[in-house]
Amino acid sequence: MASTTPSTGDNKRTMSAASNLRHSQTARPSSPHTPQQQQRSGNASFASTTSPGSSFRNEDDAIIFEIGARWIRAGFEGNGSPVCTVGFGPEESRRVGDYRGWIQGASGVGTLPQPVNAEDWVRDYELWRHDLRDVDLGLVEDKIERAFRETYNQHLLTDAGSSRLVLTLPSLMPHPLLSSLLSTLFDRWRFPSVTLLSSATMSATAAGLRSALVVDIGWAETTATAIYEYREVTTKRSTRAMKPLMQEMGRLLTALSSDNVSEQAAKDEIAVGFTYCEEVTTRFAWCNPHGDVGGSAPDPGRTISIPSPTSPEKDFCDIPFARLSEPVEKVLFASGVAEYEMDDEEKSIPLLLYNTLLTLPPDARGTCMSRIVFVGGGSRIPGLRQRILNEVSSLIDRYGWSAIRGKVLERQRQRLEQMKISSQSNGEAPSTNNDSASSPDEEKPDPSREEPEIDFVEQKLRRQNKDTPVSVQGVIREVESLGAWAGASLVTSLKIRGMVEIEREKFLQHGLAGATRDSEPPVPDRRSGLKAGDRSSWTLAGWA
Amino acid sequence: MSRPFPYTYISCPCADTPVPDPARKRRSRGSPQKSPTPEQPNVDNDNKESKEAENQDGDEEEQTFDPRSPRSNFSLYPPEQLLYCEDCHQIKCPRCITEEIVSWYCPNCLFETPSSMVRSDGNRCGRNCFNCPTCTVPLAVSTIENVTATGSQQGPWVLSCAYCMWTTLDIGIKFDKPTNIRAQLQKMTDATAAPALDRSRQASRTFGDLKSPLSSYASIDEQSASREANGEQSATKEDETPTPDLGTDARFAALKSFYRTQISETSTSPGDPLGSDLGFSSPGALNRLMSLYTSSSRLGGLYGGSKKPKSKPPVMREALTASEGLRIAPEKGDADVIERLGSHECGWDGVASIDQRKEQSPDVRFTDDLLPLPCLLRTKRAKRCKSCKHILVKPETKPQSTRFRIRLIALSYIPLPTLRPLALPSSSSLMSSPVPDLNALPPLRPIHVLLTLKNHMFDPVRITLATPSVTPGRVASKVTVLSPQFDIGANSDVWDEALQGASAPVTGDPRLAGLRGVPEAGKVWDKGRNWTTVVLEVVPGTLPGSEAEGGNEAGEDGTLAQQDGDVLEIPVFVHMEWDAEAQLEQQNVGKASKPDDLVARELAYWMVLGVGRIKTSL
Repeated sequence: MASTTPSTGDNKRTMSAASNLRHSQTARPSSPHTPQQQQRSGNASFASTTSPGSSFRNEDDAIIFEIGARWIRAGFEGNGSPVCTVGFGPEESRRVGDYRGWIQGASGVGTLPQPVNAEDWVRDYELWRHDLRDVDLGLVEDKIERAFRETYNQHLLTDAGSSRLVLTLPSLMPHPLLSSLLSTLFDRWRFPSVTLLSSATMSATAAGLRSALVVDIGWAETTATAIYEYREVTTKRSTRAMKPLMQEMGRLLTALSSDNVSEQAAKDEIAVGFTYCEEVTTRFAWCNPHGDVGGSAPDPGRTISIPSPTSPEKDFCDIPFARLSEPVEKVLFASGVAEYEMDDEEKSIPLLLYNTLLTLPPDARGTCMSRIVFVGGGSRIPGLRQRILNEVSSLIDRYGWSAIRGKVLERQRQRLEQMKISSQSNGEAPSTNNDSASSPDEEKPDPSREEPEIDFVEQKLRRQNKDTPVSVQGVIREVESLGAWAGASLVTSLKIRGMVEIEREKFLQHGLAGATRDSEPPVPDRRSGLKAGDRSSWTLAGWA
Repeated sequence: MSRPFPYTYISCPCADTPVPDPARKRRSRGSPQKSPTPEQPNVDNDNKESKEAENQDGDEEEQTFDPRSPRSNFSLYPPEQLLYCEDCHQIKCPRCITEEIVSWYCPNCLFETPSSMVRSDGNRCGRNCFNCPTCTVPLAVSTIENVTATGSQQGPWVLSCAYCMWTTLDIGIKFDKPTNIRAQLQKMTDATAAPALDRSRQASRTFGDLKSPLSSYASIDEQSASREANGEQSATKEDETPTPDLGTDARFAALKSFYRTQISETSTSPGDPLGSDLGFSSPGALNRLMSLYTSSSRLGGLYGGSKKPKSKPPVMREALTASEGLRIAPEKGDADVIERLGSHECGWDGVASIDQRKEQSPDVRFTDDLLPLPCLLRTKRAKRCKSCKHILVKPETKPQSTRFRIRLIALSYIPLPTLRPLALPSSSSLMSSPVPDLNALPPLRPIHVLLTLKNHMFDPVRITLATPSVTPGRVASKVTVLSPQFDIGANSDVWDEALQGASAPVTGDPRLAGLRGVPEAGKVWDKGRNWTTVVLEVVPGTLPGSEAEGGNEAGEDGTLAQQDGDVLEIPVFVHMEWDAEAQLEQQNVGKASKPDDLVARELAYWMVLGVGRIKTSL
């Protein structure tokens, strides 16, 4: 190609320019004499406060946090995996000097004194929930502050606030949560800027893809996000995720522990400790990759021994291995529930995937369906991903890419078919009729499966681009990702600036309300290189 | 509770000042043109802020501190953990200070790590300090062979855990020499990366923690990344497996080098969305400007006649091969993992727990994949007041030293509260029981507790205590401070007390003797040189659902069942006033300075007294 020759010559310059940029970027926050900061006269002394020890260090590496409802992952840009993973639990929200967790063993191991409602059972273990009606934002702020402080002090071992902060967040965040998160960070420490990156896009980046269908089986919800050329195209979500799974597992273990106690009382109440239940779930929850019909399932009589729910510290009890896959089947696949009975927000995960793909335009659909990326805690359940893909492909086999279902439709189509056939050839009508009743797909082949007619323009294009590799398209394929954190680390280390970069001064003046409402971020400015350094306005882009 | 009863906690006043949400503030002021005003509180010193907070509290009719609310867990501290800023005259908790790292050291070998090495070592000890991956106990380096034969302990070395008997032999690792284990381990794990290819995906070893990723990638990134990429490419060419099994970090490096080359290849074209920002001075920018004209206008031939019309600019593509970091999920899926999970030889202990996995590479699933963890470094940190930036704590740099150059702990400024139950003498008519058992307080039976406040300042202090008459929360206990206002003497020379005491050593001060006996309202119980003891009368409430209430609230037991529903904690508001000698700097600034160089100071905070646990039955 014509353009490759100059570009190779520019390679070095590009890199050196990038490194120049890096220096200029890092010089900005450390110098106190920018006009913006001079307004705040009281802060002029901050620049000189760095301790002698920390000034030697390479401080310009951004710190990346991935925040979820249950865990925080933190580390430095350019690392392949986070330095630490910190959870939110009752142990983390104890008073300072309260060492009960060490004296009596962690809470949530043994059985609870009284059965607890399933929602209350998980409440202490999550940082936030998206239903903000029963979330104390002040408490969330407290937890975030402590988690960040301890992460910096114990794991990151750098001075908090000295370097840029990159947050990887789900693309749908309630504004009050986002606002209290940012104001906590900016108020508590002196972060020069906070960059927000969308976790779905980052997961796709960490898989090496430009377009993907990112399925995040998270704590409160499972999201299927279609990403096309690094843009989130559609997102669909379902409440079938790890939280109900954990609750279901808790019910299973409760039933195991109290097989004689009245079953109806334990209907929605859980009597086993959360930590214990989580251990069981993360260790032994599994899923048969082939559904109920598959023959490769382990023999049903096989048992494994897990610590007994009544006294996990002391004895073990045997449990059929197959039972540990029941909660997964029930919660994530909604086995035994017909599709029409499920609300829009509680579709099973295969249906969620299928519906997300269905809403995509055909081109994007073809690209995304062969780039399915599973992330989130649920994706670690062995067999789950394969099972989901199997079910999705069986859905595609059954319905094709058509959203229209129903008996009336079938009848109508049959009637039309009959009319058509009877007009063409009267003799063969009954036999085809039977065929169509059994498999409606065969009567009219799906356009996507037809042999494409030879298009000379396409052929010419293909000849032109024959050195560029043909991308896989139109088949179900799963690509593994390193996760959103690694993606953010990758993107940040490549010195790509995020769309949403919130600067300290601007946020402190107006808060989230200061963001411009432009849905179109100032892309041309960035690319021309004219305004690489400063942006007069900032945007929340996808988070707005 | 956390500590044995009775205990005391102090709530840092910073909890009263909520995180200012700039948006909220702007809305409330309603005057967006006054943009500098919202910044005022940050610039002001804490003194004013606290007063504002008090005023706010006053407006909201004196909100009582509730030790039971979940937020209070984050603002309550044991008195000895608090600091005090002499300039703001405020208590400082870990939330209202900023920290600066003075030195990094390994808690195991107490070697100080130079700051330049910290990040390259991945914040972990670079020597021989390892923790057991299964039980986190420090590992010891020991030989396999018996040491009895010769003194020249030759044999291979292993890391072994003295607690759970885990050794590196369990994962098949031996060391040639007993020193510099971490470098050896790193070399070894790099070497075993190739054999890991034929293992299953989940069983693959990734050595993320052990490699020092930053040293190789970030500093000399381009060079080393390309080198690694080359190495991987050669590796993949060798064993043409469809999905060669790169570890997490190797995959990350591959992806990074892939993106880097893609960006550099495509950044000259204006159309790519990921092009890195170039400086304007760069010739690349000029080039791009020119190409803008030539490609977009039809008159391109006029300007660049010699150039052929530009074809489509190269677009960044996605990763296509495994050497570029792409990994397609294996066909067979997780069947072998499921098989292994269900097998008998794996069992509960064969699978790594959450805590074990937290520190390891994300792919680890079984305990066989766990690697010894280099010891996490610790830091010595200097602490500064967040609002005025004065140093509160400055430790000595050396890890071995426990001394501090500066340390302003709050207990030298605020009175140390201690609590103990009052055992009334048996002659008293009230009751004969010696000391009430604090872990099982009978409800509805009054007890007396003695609250002693000990002053460590060299000025006498006037104290006012206030407490809600009924404790907040579901268990309503009645509390009365018998003498809420009292003075505490200065922390004067110890000899004063000794001399005073010598006058009446055995019989005791008649004044004190008069104080002893029955607690009386309005009277201080006991008083010493720099301490004063007052009596609190507490009537523990009844637990809901207990016998005393007839169990009518049994339906709501769920809320009580949560931990510590039965702990009797009393919030006490402490207000202290004293006349301090004005220091020089304050003399210049202080408007309230009296002619005799005394400045009236005051400090107010909430304190929580943990008295005991209430019994369910009478």
